[in-house]
Amino acid sequence: MRIAVTALGAALTLLALGACSSAGGGGSTSSTLVVGEFNPFTGPDAAFGPEMVGGCVPAVRLINSSGGVLGHKLSCVQEDTRGDPADAVPAVQKMMATETSLIGVLGPSSDEALATVPLLNTGHVPMFVDTGQAAFDHSSYAYLWRITPADDVKGYAMALWAHKAGYTRAAAVFGNDAGAQSDVPTLVRAFTKLGGTIVYNKPVALDQSSYRTEIENLLAAHPQVIFTEIDPQTGATFLSELQQLHGLLPVIGTEVTLQAPWLKAVNNAIGAAAMARYFEGMQPYAPPSGPAWQAYNRSLLASGSQVPKPGQWSTDPYSMTYYDGVNVMALAMVAAKSTSPKVFNASVMKVTEPGRGKTVVTTFAAGKAALQAGKQIQYVGAGGPIVFNHWHNSTGAFEAAKYVEGNPVLVGSVSAAQIAELSR
Amino acid sequence: MNTLVPAIGFGIVTASILAVAGVGFTLQFGVTNILNLAYGDIMTAAAFVAYLVTGAGFSVWLALAAGAAFGSVFSILLNRFLYTPFVRRGTRLFGMIIVTIAVSLILQNSLLAVFGASFFSLQMPRPASVHIAGMVFTTAQLAIIGIAIVAMLLIHLLLRYTKLGKAMRATATDPELARNCGIATDRVIDLAWAISGALCGLAGVILVMNVTSFTDTTGAQFLIPIIAVAVLGGIGQPYGAMLGALVIGIASELAAAVISPDYKNVVAFVILVIVLLARPQGILSEIATRKEVAA
Repeated sequence: MRIAVTALGAALTLLALGACSSAGGGGSTSSTLVVGEFNPFTGPDAAFGPEMVGGCVPAVRLINSSGGVLGHKLSCVQEDTRGDPADAVPAVQKMMATETSLIGVLGPSSDEALATVPLLNTGHVPMFVDTGQAAFDHSSYAYLWRITPADDVKGYAMALWAHKAGYTRAAAVFGNDAGAQSDVPTLVRAFTKLGGTIVYNKPVALDQSSYRTEIENLLAAHPQVIFTEIDPQTGATFLSELQQLHGLLPVIGTEVTLQAPWLKAVNNAIGAAAMARYFEGMQPYAPPSGPAWQAYNRSLLASGSQVPKPGQWSTDPYSMTYYDGVNVMALAMVAAKSTSPKVFNASVMKVTEPGRGKTVVTTFAAGKAALQAGKQIQYVGAGGPIVFNHWHNSTGAFEAAKYVEGNPVLVGSVSAAQIAELSR
Repeated sequence: MNTLVPAIGFGIVTASILAVAGVGFTLQFGVTNILNLAYGDIMTAAAFVAYLVTGAGFSVWLALAAGAAFGSVFSILLNRFLYTPFVRRGTRLFGMIIVTIAVSLILQNSLLAVFGASFFSLQMPRPASVHIAGMVFTTAQLAIIGIAIVAMLLIHLLLRYTKLGKAMRATATDPELARNCGIATDRVIDLAWAISGALCGLAGVILVMNVTSFTDTTGAQFLIPIIAVAVLGGIGQPYGAMLGALVIGIASELAAAVISPDYKNVVAFVILVIVLLARPQGILSEIATRKEVAA
């Protein structure tokens, strides 16, 4: 009996020790630290998740091959939000309860950010969000970091690009989801400020079997160009019906329309020639060049076993920002000499902001070496320099891309200065 | 007025798809008394069959036949090996609804696992536009309308002028009495699943012919209007479903044209509610009131 009680006590002690060692964001010296890929992997925005994998995996691969962070390896773990707050809230609660070595997340997206950012912030989980919602323009969340541009910036960029092309009458065809609708107010304001008129502006119910009546109403307003952000299925139905009823109009889309699923769906529906002729999309400008991008791209292309068709993300600015987000968290941990998010979160700015005497680094390995040598660093990522403002937002220029033979090709850009002037 | 006539044309296309889907749904419920909420997912599965057929280089007509055949065979198997054992064990209407929801989720997630989270299109010639009496259709939409008319005509002939049709109506009205009169009700139920499954498969393929791009959830998203059509017409009433499809299809497009596209679904469902307030059994139902729906 005594032996049984002793054995039971020993087992419980071991279990308790095991539990202690894995708690608190990777407290043990050898456990693998987890970066959560907190985005939709299924549902209407299922395209977001794979794009995130295209950034996280190459970053983790390079970090681990450089010896990891303070003795820990890193890994990317998918957390599917389904693009719906109703699914995302339990998902974030489960993630925080079960991933005891969680050091931060990439995401959430606009689909679930409003519901989940407060939870992540309360849980002291650093997040490199990919939502563009204006609600986070002046964020007071200490653990929120945004490298991707806010949606209102996107609206300015689209308006500037249309104005540059000489359009004065435009239709706004945006999905009735919160993410797409958050683009609209600044787009309307910016286009009007530039002398244009939004002649049609109706939220589009997603994934209907037909939009012919909506198209008739749109055509009655005689727009010269259509601004849009709708999901691939809706985009395919809407634009193919527009093509059948009237013929296509020039379309300027957001970065959602420059993603592979949108291309596949809409290209099949309206044809490659029409895509090349009528369509342009705006996305954050991240030129595929420079040492940081080269390191990213090499690692990405070598990650084929974990990233399907890795080459598709080579020039994707969002994948680059996810890559940068992981590197920034890893360097912040090295700088803070801690894997505890409560400690290293304060070092995020220290490793990114420019400053006199700082060593500019473009990879985790270089940054880690410089920090270990007692230097201060500025990490310049694959997507370019990262300069967070007081509200943890960092934005830059936008590029316009066209589809040529199935691939997005850069056709021009809108500078950060132009956007700043228009937004004043 | 400018937008009214085209809107009627658009409504006819929507009504055609709804009619094929709605008649299949209601016919199956009428004969078997199982509210099959996996119906939309079987439509999607049939669309994927059509996708594979057109992807292999065959024509969209063969894809339509393959989709219908798949829907038919799958529905028979589903009934034989899953639904019937539950019914035999005494599972009632509510329990069966849960079973069909489970089937719906299994199908949806299986399609997701097999085909992936992507967008798919049938490989078919780009349709040309045709103007008829102020309405604009594509050749694909004219084909959809034609398919719906032929399907409805065949269902009418089957129900009115064949022994099988009479047996189906008898089984739908009172299965016990039908069995006592010598009707092989099990065989009739099998055939009802086969016919409704074929309509379901056909509806899945014409739906994705119209929307041009689809995912693993496209059919499920279309289920609510299908149920609305069936309920409006009187659940279990194929002729009612045809009428319900016309009412909902045209009313929703007219509402979009006259009021705003925002009210498209609102108006369709307001009509549904008003009709049900006046005729709770639906427009044409003789059967629903006799069935123990709340059993």
